Amino acid sequence: MMRTFLSLVNKEILGFLRAWGLVAVVLYAFTLDIYIAGKGIELQAKNVSVGYVDESGGVVSLKILERLHAPQFKPPVRFLSQKELDRALRNREIMVGLLFDNDFSRDYERSGHARLNVLLDATAAAQSFQALQYLQHILLDFSEIHFPVGLKIHKLFNPNATTSWFMSLAELLSMMTLLGVILTAAVFVREKENGTWDMMLLMPVDPRLIILAKSFSQVLILSLGIVIATGLILFGAFDVPIHGSIWAFFLLSFFYAFTSAGIGLFVAAVSRSMMEVAQLAIFIMMPLIFLSGAWTPIHAMAPWLQKLSLISPLRYYIEGSESIFFRGTAWGDLWPYFAGVIGLGALVYLYGFRRIGRLF
Amino acid sequence: MKLGVVRAYMLKEIKEMLRSKMIVLVYLLPTMIVILFGYGIRLEVTHARTVILDHDQSRLSRDLIGHFRHSKYFDTRVMNITEQQALHRIKQAKTEILIIIPEGFEKRLIQGVGTEIGVFVDGAFPIRGETMANYVEGVIFDAARRLMPPKEAKLITLDNRNLFNQAMRDENAIVPGLIGLILLVAPAILSALLIVKEKEEGTIFNFYSSPIKKSEFLLAKLFPAFVLHSVNIFLLFLWATWLFEVPFRGSFTLYWFASEIYVLISLGVGLLVSIITSTQIVATVLTIIITIIPGFLYSGMLMPISAMSAESVIEAHIYPVMYFNHIVYDTFLVGQGLASPKNQLYLAILLAYAVGLILLGSFLMKKELR
Repeated sequence: MMRTFLSLVNKEILGFLRAWGLVAVVLYAFTLDIYIAGKGIELQAKNVSVGYVDESGGVVSLKILERLHAPQFKPPVRFLSQKELDRALRNREIMVGLLFDNDFSRDYERSGHARLNVLLDATAAAQSFQALQYLQHILLDFSEIHFPVGLKIHKLFNPNATTSWFMSLAELLSMMTLLGVILTAAVFVREKENGTWDMMLLMPVDPRLIILAKSFSQVLILSLGIVIATGLILFGAFDVPIHGSIWAFFLLSFFYAFTSAGIGLFVAAVSRSMMEVAQLAIFIMMPLIFLSGAWTPIHAMAPWLQKLSLISPLRYYIEGSESIFFRGTAWGDLWPYFAGVIGLGALVYLYGFRRIGRLF
Repeated sequence: MKLGVVRAYMLKEIKEMLRSKMIVLVYLLPTMIVILFGYGIRLEVTHARTVILDHDQSRLSRDLIGHFRHSKYFDTRVMNITEQQALHRIKQAKTEILIIIPEGFEKRLIQGVGTEIGVFVDGAFPIRGETMANYVEGVIFDAARRLMPPKEAKLITLDNRNLFNQAMRDENAIVPGLIGLILLVAPAILSALLIVKEKEEGTIFNFYSSPIKKSEFLLAKLFPAFVLHSVNIFLLFLWATWLFEVPFRGSFTLYWFASEIYVLISLGVGLLVSIITSTQIVATVLTIIITIIPGFLYSGMLMPISAMSAESVIEAHIYPVMYFNHIVYDTFLVGQGLASPKNQLYLAILLAYAVGLILLGSFLMKKELR
């Protein structure tokens, strides 16, 4: 039986390697796609464009402006009137407008108190809010008041807030989900499309063994993909730190690969062509990916979504992987994630297994 | 051009779409994306799970805790555990912020000796970590400033006005950008599939061998797609304003007109894809790859164009998304309309893109087997 199993797995892997188009797509997804997401999606405010109108005529405003520099700010641009600044803001060429009015430097010299008017283009809410906080920092620094309270802030796990670490990992987990479904569904549907399905039915092998071998071969491909992506892109290109155990991550991914293969089995059972596989996969996986915390932590979402996400195996996979990579959670504390992935995964896989089994 | 032929061909297209469930894809996909992204992307931080260790137990420390308690940004719990245990909670992702008020906090403050509050923030989500750290800083400095005699507290205060999106809602910032993403992806997929499907199934030979002209064929293919997706323009508008309560301050006519042109651009992209591909699956994947990346990264939705690095700005100007998004954000949040020369220019650029892409597509398409 083991020999039959192995030769079936072997057949599927050969079939995969010969479909060069599929190999190219999988390689792209596990390397370049993750690279682009990690490199391109930057959410932190950098290079903020600043414009100012200076009617104060003093040196204070110039001293403040000097402090707006890279990487947070672009060199401030001077506008001659508030009207011009307004127009630039409306055309979204400038994100932060500073108005130093007549009394600004007089007030500052006389009493130390002064008011600086700031106009923010809040169409980009997150970045303009951050820019405001940068400004607050700069002014606090500038005023040189000695607070009796010191603050020591430790940003744990990612002290410089490098977005690429987070984005590349999130993209890898999403890709893992999407490919797991599409690849597994593809090995069955290709047989339907090519007309070799009947040969499968006629084979003197237990259909359960066929299903198991077919899905296992794809789990192997996925596992290899995740090793390549982790080594080449996460560690190689982005220097993502790993505070926990890499084996924990690989093990969790291995179990999760079975879960997504299970969804793939279900998709394969209900679709007749690759086109239908692609459509169904998108409609099932997109909600799963977006509502399981890939882009936003679960507890930042609407309460009803939080409850819903409890039944998503991806939720546990994402939280678990982030904990392993960034929080450095120990093996013993990882059990909720393993339990979630394995428990829900087993249910999903069994369901998919039975659905596709009916076709034999 | 024979209108009778075109009409017959169009009828066939529409019937096929209805039969093949393609119509579901046309209307479900845009709505799904806008709902998923609209709900699924949250950059603002509220209710951060905060644990405070109060080693001082004095009036001042309780006062400071009160400041955190009354803020909607924090869900504060004062706990009586060790620092190690609290840090462990962060590792287990049960807590995001840990604030440690040291012993003798009040005494040292009154004596005027410096004291230090320790803050630990979970930085696994970078932008969230950064924002939380800034919030904590803000609350503590605000509390400290109130304690100081006003003379000493020399400070330049910021008086900020948040233009276009006063409450800084994420929905207002993201949902209009999603319209630019969806109307680029969805019509392109549809138009590519309509043509590639015939190639894959071999029915394209009907077109090769019948006397129908290339222009008639394209009109019959693209016009139904255009009309179907025009409905999406209204549908997306409805989701944005009704479901996500994004304000609409500009002219609806401008939004409508610009969107129709933009749908044409997208159809043109799909047409080009259909020329170089021969199977539906490859056509879908290729369309998604070439439309989603500019739609996300170079559209100004997640990152404003003005805050991009120089090379990204150049790249952004290559894709049509940026021009469309500028107009959409303007009609939703800013409300300048056609009075602004920039909007006029961008509208003209969009028009040029639409005409250019469709002309290029119909020029490159061959009415013969190669």
